[in-house]
Amino acid sequence: MTRVVRAPIFVGLVLAIVGFFFGVAFLGALRTLRGQTFWEIEAGMSVGYVFALVGWVAGVGGWQHWGREWFGLEAKPYTLTGWKRYFGFSPDHKVIGVQYSVTFVVIFLLSGLTAMLIRLELMRDGEQFFTADQYNAAMSFHGITMTAVAVAILLGGFGNYFVPIMIGARDMAFPRLNALSYWFVPPVAVLLIIAVLMGGWDSGWTAYPPLSVVNKHGQVLFNLAVITFGLVSILGGINFLVTIIYERAPGMTWSRLPIFVWGAFAASLISFFFTQALAAGLLMVLLDRIADTSFFRSSEGGSALLYEHVFWFYSHPAVYVMVLPGFGVALEVLSHLSRKPLFAYRWVAGAMIGIVLLSGVVWAHHLFTSGMAPYLHAPFLVLTELISIPTGLIFLGAIGTIWAGKLWLRTPMLFALAFVFNFLMGGVTGIYLADVPTDLHLQDTYFVVAHFHYTIVGGEIFALFAGIYYWFPKITGRMYNETLGKLHFWIMFIGFQLTFIPMFRVGIQGMNRRIADYPAEYSDYNTIISLAAFLLGASFLFFVWNMATAWFKGRVAEANPWRATTLEWQVSSPPPEHNFDEIPVITDTPYGYGGGPAHHRPFAGGAALATEER
Amino acid sequence: MRRDFTLFAIVWALVTAASLAVAYFIIREISFPTVGAEEAHVIDDAFMALTYMASPVFGVVIAALVVAVLRHRSSGPADGDGARILGTGSVPVVWFGLSSLLCAIVIVYPGLTGLWELRNHDEPDLRIVATAQMWSWTIEYPDSNVKVFGAQELVLPKDETIQFDVVSLDILHSFWVPAFRQKIDALPGQTRKVYITPTEVGDRDSDVAYRLQCAELCGVGHAIMAMPVRVVEKAEFESWLKEQQSVAEAK
Amino acid sequence: MATATPAAASQAAHAHEPHDEVKKVRMNRLGLWLFFFSDALVFALLFSARFYMNGTEVDPHISQVLGLGITSVLLLSSYTAYRGETAIHHGNIAHGRLMLLLTILLGIAFFAGVVVEWSIAEFTISEGYGTSFFSMTGMHAGHVASGVILLWIAWRKAGKGYYDGGGLKAYGVSGVVMYWHFVDVVWVFFYPALYLLK
Ligand code: HEA
Ligand code: HEA
Ligand code: CUA
Ligand SMILES: [Cu+2]
Repeated sequence: MTRVVRAPIFVGLVLAIVGFFFGVAFLGALRTLRGQTFWEIEAGMSVGYVFALVGWVAGVGGWQHWGREWFGLEAKPYTLTGWKRYFGFSPDHKVIGVQYSVTFVVIFLLSGLTAMLIRLELMRDGEQFFTADQYNAAMSFHGITMTAVAVAILLGGFGNYFVPIMIGARDMAFPRLNALSYWFVPPVAVLLIIAVLMGGWDSGWTAYPPLSVVNKHGQVLFNLAVITFGLVSILGGINFLVTIIYERAPGMTWSRLPIFVWGAFAASLISFFFTQALAAGLLMVLLDRIADTSFFRSSEGGSALLYEHVFWFYSHPAVYVMVLPGFGVALEVLSHLSRKPLFAYRWVAGAMIGIVLLSGVVWAHHLFTSGMAPYLHAPFLVLTELISIPTGLIFLGAIGTIWAGKLWLRTPMLFALAFVFNFLMGGVTGIYLADVPTDLHLQDTYFVVAHFHYTIVGGEIFALFAGIYYWFPKITGRMYNETLGKLHFWIMFIGFQLTFIPMFRVGIQGMNRRIADYPAEYSDYNTIISLAAFLLGASFLFFVWNMATAWFKGRVAEANPWRATTLEWQVSSPPPEHNFDEIPVITDTPYGYGGGPAHHRPFAGGAALATEER
Repeated sequence: MRRDFTLFAIVWALVTAASLAVAYFIIREISFPTVGAEEAHVIDDAFMALTYMASPVFGVVIAALVVAVLRHRSSGPADGDGARILGTGSVPVVWFGLSSLLCAIVIVYPGLTGLWELRNHDEPDLRIVATAQMWSWTIEYPDSNVKVFGAQELVLPKDETIQFDVVSLDILHSFWVPAFRQKIDALPGQTRKVYITPTEVGDRDSDVAYRLQCAELCGVGHAIMAMPVRVVEKAEFESWLKEQQSVAEAK
Repeated sequence: MATATPAAASQAAHAHEPHDEVKKVRMNRLGLWLFFFSDALVFALLFSARFYMNGTEVDPHISQVLGLGITSVLLLSSYTAYRGETAIHHGNIAHGRLMLLLTILLGIAFFAGVVVEWSIAEFTISEGYGTSFFSMTGMHAGHVASGVILLWIAWRKAGKGYYDGGGLKAYGVSGVVMYWHFVDVVWVFFYPALYLLK
């Protein structure tokens, strides 16, 4: 019994509940003083949540292992061991990496199932089983949860797990901050789910006012959740930047960083700098709702355009937060599994930074039809299309790397190759949208939906699975089942193409997005899309099955099943808690292929850099 | 190596040709909705131009993938490494130059030129006020004070440049007739203009592209916030207006 | 957060943190600066929103006296904070604590000033100008409040001898004071934007 009571999550829950009621009472007191009713649902939920959040993070360990120090008490040592660490406050970057990965894969599957329901509804014209309102709720939930997954899973999961090992560090720069940021995530998921249970919100993932100011209470929970999530990516971003700048092992110069680390670095630059804009925008919406401000009331000089600018000032760069680590993963896999050095390394790294710089000055390409000042059209058209130049260099790196290589077509490699193709489709169709004349027609149609599923799903999510299969043996110490993996790939790849290519056409034809019902003329295509989507969904059953079985019963994997040259493969699988017996000294680039065995060990020292004390 | 390049060239030619063919025969011929307005030509041409230019780019990437997969498979690290090509030479420079050039072209044509064409339309012959509100449209012909409401039709004369003043009474909506392509948001309290010159007679019953569809998420009624559009000859339009006026007076 | 807990506990707590103290301070400083950059964006956006919404219009009813008053209070507090930091760094804990205490009091005074301003304001939060005024001062006052709490923590730890000897060990103080200066600088932009325009 006491074991349960002491369990961090349990303590966190209790404090969260206490905090919530404290917050409500606090606000209620203030309101009664000012002669208002004690309880007002939206303000009440908001203030209550803030205190609940504090209670939660304090309860799961923030106080025990950190907060106490601020008040001159001793921080409690970390006592949890084995699987329990994953359910507590752990500063170990590998534990945190697994926490992120698993959490977000589950959310991904959940949100994917929502997508299946969306497709079921859209299978034919007319209302199938969703009311228009329920559909909007499902669509919005799918949108925001998937966006969250896309923003956080590569950095939070692989980033936390591998960046420190790849640069030869023992841990992240701020381990406790790292743990803290992870524990902000569960409240986000809980809020969004409660919001849906309360009937959801119907403003999509973009939450444009004035709609988001006048719609259901669920919107408030959405805003609170997304603001909290913003905090996660800011803290995460700062942590990565400091880690990569200060924690590199001796000899690990910037030009010897594995490309995935460059991707994480570039993405972190964006997420630490821009994310506050999202928070600010949603805060304005929140204030308009609960504090009766008039940011978006035109009679008082407010305007929805204000929000659209602020929102996209973050949300466009965010798409590169999604895809830059994706580039990193894909290029890692392409290089190691075709046993060739990364082609044009410096150009690729430079291109990533170039993308970061450009990403901040193109946001208004989402506003071509918004009624913003027309003189903004031309400059944003130009700036947006310039991004295709650095992105093109990434492609050069990819095809140059596999050229004349020795391609080992295992599951991760297949996903990485598919990434190149899919992202080409997504990227090039982006040009159609960046081109103002065509965008005037295509904006808010399924062409856009197809574009961003090609970039996010076809790009990042394919890279994600490349990474999952590639690093699975390292993380779990066991090998996944190759046949199941290949099945997953082929069904997913085919299902994906069949789902999203037709969307381009219905989009051009004039089917707009975010609708539960559409003119009968579009029915046939949507039926095809839906059937293909179910195929796509089914492919993940193989994935789930593969992971579940391999994790527990899979063949034990050796330290370096791919014979790869980066540091994470030079330590045992899974890596020991301290990563390295002693910090390695780096002597060469991580891509020593074709230079003879000498180059395969780009570090000084003996056989393995560390082995698990079993 | 040389065999690689020849195969690359062949695949590149095939892919490029194929995608040009698809562009020409499938996209251009059967994918666009009815071209119902002058401005629609500009937009469709821009779309085609982009597609033609994208084809060779596709060719390059796909050809590289095909060559690698067909000619350089291996059974694992056992059979050695690939060649040590670092790409520090002139290849990236060339690629950078070419993609910059292509990018520059894409920006100027169809980008800026198209924008310019859409901007300098001829003087409007007719002004129409389109007012959006959850979840229907109200169309007003100020010069002949006629008003038509959601359930009715938006009737327009052929071959006349029409200025739509789009505005909203509550939240964001968007004015969009697929046959005319262009789209503009309806902002609460701020009027925005869009100029359209219908060139084809047509109506909703025979063509789905002839509908005024709200294209900005506005809640429960968003999907059904559409109004049938009918483009008629000028004479017919005039008589329709008269009719409406008399109806209005009758009330 | 530098700490002086007994070896065992701090070992456990820091098993995953860099051991080299100098490097650790550098990293903390960088982390803090990055946080400032990101936090500054919220203020910057509220700042631009103010001009976007109501141009340069300022409500005539606003109390210029009070505005000038709290502004000077805040500027003064930045000076005392600075004195406190240097004192503690040179090991002069007693004087440093005094200065920190002064800073805290000035901070509270500023906060009180804002509260008064809110209560006597003759415009509502729903007017264009009111929206900007209340959201900007509110967001800023929130930072001031958190700053006061942090200062109090530093003041208290200083009393318990955590910063004895100054130097690197006193980084905690520098961090807090740094934050205080940041909040101060923000106000240097907000004050003219809210009061001095026409
Ligand atoms: C990972 C996510 C991701 C990525 C990487 C991108 C990449 C790009 N996106 Fe996309 N986009 C989204 C996710 C993403 N997008 C999302 C989610 C939305 C919808 C939001 C919503 O409304 O809900 C969206 C919407 C969106 C719009 C607004 C559409 C509208 O609503 O009207 C636009 C308009 O310009 C756009 C453009 C681009 C461009 C130009 C790129 C470029 O970065 C692409 C660059 C890549 C290439 C061009 C291909 C490779 C280049 C070469 C091979 C070199 C040779 C080519 C040339 C020189 C042209 N995107
Ligand atoms: C990471 C981002 C991401 C991902 C991966 C996806 C994945 C998918 N998306 Fe989504 N989508 C978005 C981001 C994403 N989407 C965004 C941002 C929007 C915009 C929302 C808005 O307009 O506001 C959107 C909108 C959107 C729409 C338009 C809705 C509308 O405008 O009305 C559609 C319609 O078809 C769609 C479909 C799909 C499909 C079929 C998938 C498929 O890839 C899903 C694959 C299926 C699964 C992953 C489920 C598999 C799981 C199982 C079969 C069970 C497994 C077992 C257990 C759970 C134990 N998405
Ligand atoms: Cu009106 Cu959508
Ligand atoms: Cu964008």
